[in-house]
Amino acid sequence: MQSENTAPLWGKRRAEKKRRLEHVANLADGKVLPTARIVSALETLIAPGDRVVLEGNNQKQADFLSRSLAQTRADTLHDLHMIIPTVGRAEHLDLFERGIARKLDFSFAGPQSLRISQLLKDGLLEVGAIHTYIELYARLYVDLIPNVVLVAGYKADRQGNLYTGPSTEDTPPLVEAAAFHDGIVIAQVNEIVEDGSELPRVDIPGSWVDFVVQADKPFFIEPLFTRDPRLIKPVHVLMAMMAIRGIYERHQVQSLNHGIGFNTAAIELILPTYAAKLGLKGKICKNWTLNPHPTLIPAIESGWVESVHCFGGELGMEDYIAARPDVFFTGADGSMRSNRMMCQLAGQYAVDLFIGSTLQIDGDGHSSTVTHGRLSGFGGAPNMGHDPHGRRHATPAWLDLLQTDSPLERGRKLVVQMVETFQGGGKPTFVESLDAVQVARDSGMPLAPIMIYGDDVSHVLTEEGIAYLYKARSLEERKAMLAAVAGVTPIGMQQDRRESERLRSAGLIALPEDLGVQRSEATRSLLAAKSMSDLVAWSDGLYQPPARFRSW
Amino acid sequence: MNSQSLLDRDSFIELNARSRARALLDAGSFRELLGPFDRMTSPWLPRQGVVVQADDGVIVAKGLIDGQPAVVLAIEGTFQGGSLGEVAGAKIAGALELAAEDNRRGTPTRAVILFETGGVRLQEANLGLAAIAEIHAAIVDLRRYQPVIGVTAGTVGCFGGMSIAAALCSYLIVCREARLGLNGPAVIEQEAGIEEYDSRDKPFIWSFTGGEQRFNSGLVDAYLEDDSTAIAAQVRTFLRQGRPDSLRSDCYAGFLARLAEVDTRVQATPAAVRELYKKGFQA
Repeated sequence: MQSENTAPLWGKRRAEKKRRLEHVANLADGKVLPTARIVSALETLIAPGDRVVLEGNNQKQADFLSRSLAQTRADTLHDLHMIIPTVGRAEHLDLFERGIARKLDFSFAGPQSLRISQLLKDGLLEVGAIHTYIELYARLYVDLIPNVVLVAGYKADRQGNLYTGPSTEDTPPLVEAAAFHDGIVIAQVNEIVEDGSELPRVDIPGSWVDFVVQADKPFFIEPLFTRDPRLIKPVHVLMAMMAIRGIYERHQVQSLNHGIGFNTAAIELILPTYAAKLGLKGKICKNWTLNPHPTLIPAIESGWVESVHCFGGELGMEDYIAARPDVFFTGADGSMRSNRMMCQLAGQYAVDLFIGSTLQIDGDGHSSTVTHGRLSGFGGAPNMGHDPHGRRHATPAWLDLLQTDSPLERGRKLVVQMVETFQGGGKPTFVESLDAVQVARDSGMPLAPIMIYGDDVSHVLTEEGIAYLYKARSLEERKAMLAAVAGVTPIGMQQDRRESERLRSAGLIALPEDLGVQRSEATRSLLAAKSMSDLVAWSDGLYQPPARFRSW
Repeated sequence: MNSQSLLDRDSFIELNARSRARALLDAGSFRELLGPFDRMTSPWLPRQGVVVQADDGVIVAKGLIDGQPAVVLAIEGTFQGGSLGEVAGAKIAGALELAAEDNRRGTPTRAVILFETGGVRLQEANLGLAAIAEIHAAIVDLRRYQPVIGVTAGTVGCFGGMSIAAALCSYLIVCREARLGLNGPAVIEQEAGIEEYDSRDKPFIWSFTGGEQRFNSGLVDAYLEDDSTAIAAQVRTFLRQGRPDSLRSDCYAGFLARLAEVDTRVQATPAAVRELYKKGFQA
């Protein structure tokens, strides 16, 4: 029998949470923490050794909370185990330099990747694992259950109801992991309103949130998905034409995800011109899982796009999206609701095709964006860029990749790598060995950080042609197909021209001419919008580009 | 605007210098002088490790506008920022001088200059400056006979000594993405400090030097959409109007009087500049 004054055996987490909440009762006004006292509130609500989720991804950052956490005293808070989807801010790593945190689980570290490598070398930081986004969210419910979750939103009321709106992004799965397992949820917001009726809508219910705090300035957000059409080159247009004829049209691709880059922006911008002339409207590119790329506006306006579900928002697109509720997912208030986890899942299981770019591809088709000295991580690309074996529903494109008549063969997602054979600065894209292999060795990772594995890649598209890798009958043939479109890179130079001709006549690779693509037609005049100001005109003035993208 | 008209729009900014010149001349009349096959390139750039361009970044195009003899001088903004060195500058100055000579001999040749230029080419410093001075003199000479029309569409804009050349033109046409100013934004920031003038704040820069502001301040004569057809039509309208009654550059006393009214202790705003210049340029 348990005595009266020992802790209840099945509620240790609940009791601990209650204890911490009581300690800040004198500091808080109900659920509202005062902005000026946030550092001491964090010191009280967080305990050494806690698992702390800090919301930060490639778009929205809970930067007021991360800056405040970095100001706590290291003799009070230490050995924290940080879980940060995107390590994007300097103070994320200050936590480790100052000894407040020790272990890090993350997904992507683009801007801070060099410093992570350095801290790792100095023994100040220990990496748990590098994940893809949904993998990291999933582990919050298994073996990385958090004690404290720090998130960001636009608005809250005094009951803790949150409006996260177009930038909802990762917030729901992060909050849920703590809210339903006696963790503590703290949200920074740009504005606290007196009454719930002043919120546009509730994205996260107040009963899931323990505290809200007004940030000193609006949360940081990066316009990552804006590409200026003026920087698209004729070679991008050529590759876009090949993608439309040789992949989208051939396999009847109706649902898709586009990675970010000038290649895919070119595809979006020639749908209303080139693809329309081919009579493909209504036959391809109808349902998208995609951030609100401004370069998709002309295709939307000319009736190509039935639906777009978004991982996150994009600065400047808010009013345009709100005015197109048939296309985008919007709340009753009119503003968009993004959701990175749902969109990642949709991009994994529900679309016909993923097309993206990379920095390096080896002879087997493995690709990576990791280069020497940088531990940049994965983000979401591997979720979209693989063939999910748990898929069971059939679509024309999925079935079109079948190679046999066997009723036991599975359909296949199209995973397309669209790359120029050389990167800027004359660096070959096709290489003998990925830098990732060496980086893994140097930093003691168990495996090389591969973004997309060769056996998941169904097509490789370069300015030379398309390799239909899914048709390869052997590993040797697959290598030869890749080499045939690898141009004058080290991989391409190994190729025997006669072998390339054989692959071409067998339909395993295709050159622009084989696809009916006229190289002479590949000019910028095919772009439905040639400048940022054209995009604004297409949107009827609803799209408001961020200052740095304006030239007027 | 509906989708079809957006798809049909023929952007002038998209065109390179040669295509811009062609777009302004009567169809079929384009003839290039000192073209790329004449290989009249800069002798100075190779010594500084810079790759030359076969036309040195300036296109001299003879032809007809409205059936009348014309020469279009188009600066290629994508070669060395449209900067003018010895050869590029001499091509423009020489063509303008020949046009004036034509007029003295009874052939009413008109000139259009397409400004996409940061001004003098720093690698050719003094020789470029001398050439720009010759361009100024040649414009002043030619505009006595025929209107000289300047166009700056964007995206480079028109700066340095060439902004003076633009100001000497009989008529000046701009688009929204054009900028017109003596000093470029980075230079002003360096001199005045980033608090006063942040060269990376693009809406701020355009609010002072952009096409719309320059039009509303009375410093240019037409403000057009980025559309080849519209620009070609406006060039013809100005040519039909003939020489203007008064030239902006003759009103320097009025400009000086306006500038004397500026209280430099107060931070300038685009609206204040418009208000000031709206008073006109008469002394």
